[in-house]
Amino acid sequence: METEKALELAESLLKDFAISTNRPEENRVDFVIDRKNLKPAVNAILVDKRWGYLSAITALDNALWKVDETTKKKTIDPSGGSLELLYHFCQAAAVATLRVSLSYDDPKVDSICDLISSVSMYEREAAELYGIEFVGTPNTDKLLLPDNWPAGVYPMRKTFTSLEDSAKG
Amino acid sequence: MEPKTAPEKFIVPIGPQHPALKEPGHFEFTVEGEVVTNATARLGFVHRGMEKGAENRTWIQGLYLMERVCGICSHVHALAFALGVEKLAGVQAPPRAQAIRELVSELERIHSHLLWLGVAAHEGGFDTLFMFSWRDRETVMDLLETISGNRVNYSANVLGGVKIDISDKQADAIRKGMDFLEERTQHYLKVVTEDETFLGRTRNIGVMSFEQADFLGAIGPTGRASGVKRDVRVDSPYTAYNDFPVKLITHTHGDLEARFIVRIQELYESYRLVRELVDKMPTGDLSVKVPRRIPEGEVISRVEAPRGELLYFIKSNGSDTPERIKVRTPSLCNWSSVLVTAVGHNLADMPMILAGIDPCFSCNDRIVTVNRKTDSTQMDWEDLRQFGIEYYKWM
Repeated sequence: METEKALELAESLLKDFAISTNRPEENRVDFVIDRKNLKPAVNAILVDKRWGYLSAITALDNALWKVDETTKKKTIDPSGGSLELLYHFCQAAAVATLRVSLSYDDPKVDSICDLISSVSMYEREAAELYGIEFVGTPNTDKLLLPDNWPAGVYPMRKTFTSLEDSAKG
Repeated sequence: MEPKTAPEKFIVPIGPQHPALKEPGHFEFTVEGEVVTNATARLGFVHRGMEKGAENRTWIQGLYLMERVCGICSHVHALAFALGVEKLAGVQAPPRAQAIRELVSELERIHSHLLWLGVAAHEGGFDTLFMFSWRDRETVMDLLETISGNRVNYSANVLGGVKIDISDKQADAIRKGMDFLEERTQHYLKVVTEDETFLGRTRNIGVMSFEQADFLGAIGPTGRASGVKRDVRVDSPYTAYNDFPVKLITHTHGDLEARFIVRIQELYESYRLVRELVDKMPTGDLSVKVPRRIPEGEVISRVEAPRGELLYFIKSNGSDTPERIKVRTPSLCNWSSVLVTAVGHNLADMPMILAGIDPCFSCNDRIVTVNRKTDSTQMDWEDLRQFGIEYYKWM
């Protein structure tokens, strides 16, 4: 019951920003939002109303796969697909997720570090592994990858197979 | 000579490597005199690319891979993964398997909390406590070895249940072990709340207010020591925590002493739970069948690791390999919050404050260089630890 109430509260807090709302599990609600609304949305749910806490930021590479009919080989179709950021907020059993879709050509989103200072590490992780630029994040030093890791190579992208392959282009 | 107007400001790097300890990390503390004014972290020295690795392996291989994310809390990783995959597949492990999963989780918590007690005592210069608590920890390590065959990476889980069972003989050994540890733990609680020299290092040190802990997302014993009522076992019970519930332990002070008290009181809860579990273990099968291909979908699986909430985001594309596994470990959350609260504390308190969150702690023994115009001092982690001990000796 309390979980349901929390989810409904989250829905009412974010109704102005949500392009679509979805309940993937009984204790979860997902909000698809535009990237320009990320900061106002975080402000609305966390800073103003203290709905739970920011538990994690998941980055996804929703690559578009195509299957060759004759060879049955799966390859990436560069004409589609996108990156996605998932901001998971948890309050007891309830989980609210803000989903922000970003194109490969312009993977930029506002940093929310000035709202929640502890979020810096999550942003650094997504920046490094997925090549997402967090505009205004205070620290862009390497967090996880080695210092000599080549620039512009993002290992969690589906296109990344190995460093040797990346060097070949 | 011109008089200096700006205050001296130094950056003290700590870490990244100590071959004898578990997980390396690198911290940079900006100090003005004794007081820390900024703190940053650099991780990744043991980044193994497991999330990427999981995408190229089957679901079953992923279970073994995820169990190896952490050597101290290995079971909870496999558990979070297995629970998530089972949810996607639409199956549920049988009651006996759920109870055994909880039993191993609590035994793991006992070993982890006792390990932390030792490490934190060592950082505070109290090596007797360190040696005693690690000696006693062997009791629970032996129990884990008896039931699973391994001291770490117990591999108790399979997708759909567990592969170990608890015999009557093992149950007796577990009861005896809990009795012994409970008696010892009473002694530890007395030491950390009454020993004057130790209190000098923990009372009112590293205080994180409720407000900070709540907003910055501090979790686990670190958050609970500041009064934040967050425990996945209570908030969102998984495996058998509905039938064998746990009591939420919190404290209000938010200092290091409170973090000691919370963890020690959680030990009592774990002893009680372990006894109840072996006494009232449900009968029945140990596992159910899980399909090789997992239906398409996304799931969030949260469990309470010894250090706090562990979150898995699992996405399946309907094949026999995952599309994406995201792991958010509790230390990452707590590092973020502790680095913010480290500001304003004395450099001498840093070893204890860092150890206080029970990070899979390790970032030690690299050379620390304090650059000054006139002279330069080099300290390694051992020196800094000693510096902390000496600093407080004369307070």
